[in-house]
Order: sequence, then C-alpha cells, then structure tokens
Amino acid sequence: MKDFCSSISKLLEKYFDQEVTDKERLLVEGHLQDCPACQDALNSMEELRTLIKVPVEEAVQKEDFPWLWQKIERGIGLQEKQSWWQSIRFWLDVSPLFKKKVWIPAMATIMVLLFITTQIYFKKIPSYSGASVVEYVESETNNVMVYDLEKARVTVIWLFEEPEEEVSPS
Amino acid sequence: MAIRGAGGGSIAVMKRVVALIAFFSLLFILFTSVALAQVQTQLRVIRASNVGQGVDPSLKELHNELKTLFNFTSYRLLRDENLILSLNQPVSISAREGKIIMQITLVGLHKNVAELRIKVTREGTETLNTQVRLSPGRTVLIGGSKVREGVIIYAFYAHF
Repeated sequence: MKDFCSSISKLLEKYFDQEVTDKERLLVEGHLQDCPACQDALNSMEELRTLIKVPVEEAVQKEDFPWLWQKIERGIGLQEKQSWWQSIRFWLDVSPLFKKKVWIPAMATIMVLLFITTQIYFKKIPSYSGASVVEYVESETNNVMVYDLEKARVTVIWLFEEPEEEVSPS
Repeated sequence: MAIRGAGGGSIAVMKRVVALIAFFSLLFILFTSVALAQVQTQLRVIRASNVGQGVDPSLKELHNELKTLFNFTSYRLLRDENLILSLNQPVSISAREGKIIMQITLVGLHKNVAELRIKVTREGTETLNTQVRLSPGRTVLIGGSKVREGVIIYAFYAHF
C-alpha cells in the first residue's frame, strides 16, 4: 500500500493542478477513496492554495495592471500592426518606467555619462594660460606693433596708418 | 502544487530604458558640444582723440589701462557689441558706412581660452590679419586706424 501511495503522490500534484490524463485521474480518484493519508495530502494542498489565494486576490484587486494591459494590447496589435502614432505614444509613455523604479540605474548611467563628457571636454583640453596672446599678426599695407601690458592683462595691436576722414558709427 | 511566475515585462521595460538613455545621452552630447563651441565676445569701438577731456562713463573701468598706454585725453564709445561666436562661423562688423569691415572668427575654443582670427579690411584692401587668444580678464586692443583728430581702438573681451 505504501509503495502504491508513493507512486500516487507523484500524480497527486498533477491531479490537484488538473494536469492528469483521464486514465491517471481515475487511478488517483480510486486510490483516494481508500487512502486517508493521500486524502490528507490533497486537503493540505487545498488549504495551502486557499492560504495563498486570499492575499493574492486582495493584491490583484488593488492593482489595475495598466502595464500588463499595454502588453496584451501590444501583443494583439502585433497581428493588427500598430499605426506610427500609436508607436510614438507607446514610446513616449514613461509611466511604466516610474512604476518599475528603473530610474535609479538610469540616473546612475546619466551621471556616468555626464562625468565622462565633462572629462573629455574640460580635463583633457590643454590650457593656454602660458602661451602668448597674439598667435600671429600680419599686414601688407601698414607697420604693426604688438605690445603686452601683462600687469593689466592688456595686449595692444597697433596699426600705423595715415590719417583719414572723420568716423561715424554705422 | 506548481508555482509559476511571469517576468517578460521587465525585459520590455529595460529595452525601453536603454533606448531612452541612449537617445537622451546623444541629445546631451550634441547640445553640450554645441554649447561649448560658442563664446560670448564683447567688442567695443572707441574713438580716442586729443580734443577735449571727456571719457565716456562706460569706459571708466578701461580708462586706467588706456591712460597708461596712450596719451589721448578723450575716449568716446562709438559701439558696444555682444557677439555670440560659434566655431568657424565668421561675424562681420562694419564701420564708417562699410568702408572698414572687421571679420571675427572663432577658430578654437578651450577650457579658458578662445582663439579668434580677426581680419580688418579697408575699402576692399586687407589691412590686418591676426589671430589672438582671449582668456578671462584679458583685453585685446586693436588700434591705429586714424580718423580726423584721433584714432579708432577696438577692444575685445571674452566672457566664459
């Protein structure tokens, strides 16, 4: 009897989940009529399911699963083919991102990118603080003088020209 | 009793997150590079002469430097321009009814230095071609264009 019980107990879970064949179902039901131990095991499964079912159902009632519905609609839409406007709306809808709290790795990635970009743009660029202010100066028509007043941080480029007419602002 | 779970949704969300991060990163890099490739440059056109004693009130902070460099007694501000210079985009300023054209081009931009190429053309003839490095607090004066009773001085500053 015990050996038979152990072989039935393998089927008992499948029977409980209604995944047995007709032949297996008849076998399990026939055994259950004569075996109180297996009846107890089946009752335990039932109690456990009830124990889990109640809080799960309560949680389900509280949740409206918009993201799940979106997925289902999208799955249906795969056969119907989404319009470009629906695709854009789907991509612009950021509400699932907030629900899933994915903004934490997203922010971390952005911070890393910011850091890298800052390094590229600012740190690796040489400073020319020591270089001369005037890189080159040329004039084909006039003499030119360059004068640095380093204390005042003023550089003068002076063209020696002939006098001309009065200036007026344009 | 079998307990089954479904986790397909998180993969879809992660795909969207990755796509959105990539998109915004690209935008950020593009905008940063555009913003960093610009510099605000102030150009003041001053007429210096020995006629009178007046110093334009807006030139008072520059007057100390001017008086140590030149012997002029009068400084008059003719123009005050704020130019937003973009890399390799020339900006032209004309004076004296187009007789003098000053072309300013930002040719290099670094952390604290803007490299400007300045070309002055008078009546079609190039009178000056120079390249200068402007840093914070640095003033570059280009002067010498003579006018009756004085000269024209162009003062350049860069704002970072």
